[in-house]
Amino acid sequence: MHALRFVAKRLLLMIPILIGISILTFAISNTIPGDPARLILGPKATPEGIEELREDMGLNDPLYVQYGRYMGGILQGDLGESTYSQRPVLNDLLRYTPATFELTMFAMIVTLLVGIPFGVISASRKDKLADQFTRVFALLGVAMPAFWLGLLFLLFFYLKLGILPGSGRLDGGMAPPDYITGMYTVDALLTGNWPVFYAAVMHLILPGITLAAVTIGMITRMTRSSMLSVLKSDYIRTAYAKGAPENRVLYGHALRNGVMPVITLLGMAFGHALGGSVLVESVFSWPGLGQYAVNAITYLDFPAVMGVTLLIAIIFIMVNLIVDTLYFFIDPRLKHD
Amino acid sequence: MLLDVKDLSLSLKKNGKYATILDRISFQVEKGETVGIVGESGCGKSMTALSLMRLLPEKARLDGDINLLDENIAAYSKRKLEKIRGNQVSMIFQDPLTSLNPLQTVGTQIEESLILHRNMTKEERRTRVLKLLKDVGLPRAEELVNEYPHQLSGGMRQRVMIAIAMACEPQLLICDEPTTALDVTIQAQILELMGEIKRQTQMGIIMITHDMGVVAEVCDRVIVMYAGKIVEEGPVLELFQNPTHPYTIGLLDSIPKLGQRKQKLGSIPGTVPAPGNMPAGCRFAERCRHTMDICRTTVPPMFDIKAGHQSACWLFDEKGGDQDGVVRSDELETALHH
Repeated sequence: MHALRFVAKRLLLMIPILIGISILTFAISNTIPGDPARLILGPKATPEGIEELREDMGLNDPLYVQYGRYMGGILQGDLGESTYSQRPVLNDLLRYTPATFELTMFAMIVTLLVGIPFGVISASRKDKLADQFTRVFALLGVAMPAFWLGLLFLLFFYLKLGILPGSGRLDGGMAPPDYITGMYTVDALLTGNWPVFYAAVMHLILPGITLAAVTIGMITRMTRSSMLSVLKSDYIRTAYAKGAPENRVLYGHALRNGVMPVITLLGMAFGHALGGSVLVESVFSWPGLGQYAVNAITYLDFPAVMGVTLLIAIIFIMVNLIVDTLYFFIDPRLKHD
Repeated sequence: MLLDVKDLSLSLKKNGKYATILDRISFQVEKGETVGIVGESGCGKSMTALSLMRLLPEKARLDGDINLLDENIAAYSKRKLEKIRGNQVSMIFQDPLTSLNPLQTVGTQIEESLILHRNMTKEERRTRVLKLLKDVGLPRAEELVNEYPHQLSGGMRQRVMIAIAMACEPQLLICDEPTTALDVTIQAQILELMGEIKRQTQMGIIMITHDMGVVAEVCDRVIVMYAGKIVEEGPVLELFQNPTHPYTIGLLDSIPKLGQRKQKLGSIPGTVPAPGNMPAGCRFAERCRHTMDICRTTVPPMFDIKAGHQSACWLFDEKGGDQDGVVRSDELETALHH
C-alpha cells in the first residue's frame, strides 16, 4: 500500500520534471547559432527560398508559439518530423531506442556482475593486495574517457587479435531476428535463433564493456565504502558470534545491508550509461539513440533533438523510480513506518 | 572445570604500534557458576569477553591459554572456532537493536545457529525456534518469527538475543552488559530471565557489567578489573562486605545507597592510565591513597585474603607491610575507611 502511494506520487512528479526539461531543451536548441532552413537547402539556396522554408517550418513565429505548437503535438502523440531523415521522430525513436536500451542494459548487467563482487572483495580484504588491485581498477574505470577506452579496445581486440567484432550489431550480411522487442539478443533468444544470438552477444561485448567501465568504477567504490561501514556494525559481530563462516557473513548478512546506497547509485549509473552511449555508439558505429542524437544536433534537427532528450529523460526517471521501489522489497522497515 | 583462562594477554595495534589491552589475566569458571567481571569503561572487561570468543580485530595479538573443557581454543583455527561459537560458547551483547540484523526476521536469526551447528530438518528447527521464543518469555511466538527487529521493543529484542544465544544450549554464556541499554524495569525482567535460565541449565555464565546491582543479583563470584588487569577476585558476598583492594573499595563507595541521601558519593581522583603508557608497578598507584614505594616499581601479584578471595595489592604482602612500616592488613579496615 505504502509502495503504491509512493509510486503514484513519483509518477505525478514526472509531469513537472518533463515540462521543465522540454522548456529547457527547446530554449537551448533554438538559441544555438545556425539556421536549420539554410542547412536543409544547402549552400546554393536563395534568401527567398530560405525565408519561404522558415515560414513553412514555423521558425518565424515567436518561440513560445513554437513551443506551444510542439507540446500540443506531443499530447496527440505527434513528436514532429525529423528534418534530416524526413520521417516522423516517433518512428525514428522506436527504431533506434531498442539498440541503445540493449547496449545500456548489457553494460548495467556487466556493472552489477563485476562492480558488486569487486566492492565486496575490496571491503573484506581492506588494505590487502586484492583491495589495492580493485581500487586501482575502479579508479581507472572512472577516470578513463570512454571514447579513448573504446578506441583502445578496438585496436587490440578487433584489429590486432581479431577475436571480437568492432562495429554494428550483427555480422555483415546477417539478417536481424524477427522483430519482437527490437533488442537483437532478446528477439533471437525468443525465436531460438542461435547464430544470431551468438553474433549479437559478441557485438555487444566491446561497446558494452567500454560503456560499463565508468559505472563499474562507480559501483565498486560505493559498494566498498558501504560494505566497510556495514562490516563494523554490531549485527555482523553477532553473526560471527553465532559461528557463521566469513562468506556467509559477507554475502548473507552484510551485502543485503550494504547494497542499499549502491541501488540508488545504480539508477544514476544507468543515466550515466545512457549519456555515455552517445560517445560509445559513435566509436563502435552502433545504430542507436546516441548516434541518432549526434546526427540530429549536427543537422540542427530540432524535433529529433527534442524527441531524444525527452525520451532519455523519461527512461532515466522510470529507471530511478524502479530502483527506488526496490527499497520496499529489500528493507522491511519501509513497509511498516 | 568449564573455563580456565591462563595468562591471557591482548595487544591491539593503534597508530602503528601495539598497545597492551589485557595483561596476563587468569580466572576460572565452573559449570553452573556465574562470574561477574566489573570495572569502569576501558578497563578491558569487554575485550576479555571478545577474546574468549576470539572475536577480535584482525591486528590483535592474543597470548596465553583459553581452556574450554580442557581444549585450548586460543590456538584454534578459524574453522574450528566457527564450530564452537554459538554452539558451545554464546554471547549476548549490550545493544539489542544494533546487534540484530535489521533485514532478517526474528525467526531467521534464531534459526541460523541451528542451521550452522545442528543437523535438523526445517520442521524440527521451526519447533525449536518456537520453543526458544516461549522459553525466553516472548508471547505469540508464531507471529513473532515473521517479524523484524524494528517491530519489537528493546526488552523483547534482548529476549530474542538471549534466544539466539541459547539456541544450541551452550555450556558457556558470555553476557556483555546485557541490561545497560534497557529501561530499569526491563532490566529487572531480563535479569530475572537470566536467573531462571541459570537455574534450569548447568551453563557457566560470565556477566560483564559496570553495574554492581546486576552483580549482586545474579553472580556467584566477582572479578574486579582495572586498566587491563585483575585487581581483586572473590565470592560476591565476601567481596561486597569485605572489599580489600583500594580500587574495589573506591568502586563500591561510588554507588549511591538508598537512605543515605545526604552522604557525599565517593569518587576516585585521577584517571585510568592509557593503554601503551602503563606505569611499571601497580596500575592503580597514581590514584591510590595508600601508595608505597614498592607500588611504583613492582607489579603486585595476587595475595590470598581468604579462601577464594584474592587481591592484587602490596598492602596484603605481610613482609612488605612489615618492612616498610605501613599499615598491616588487620589494621586496614580502619585505614581504608578512614
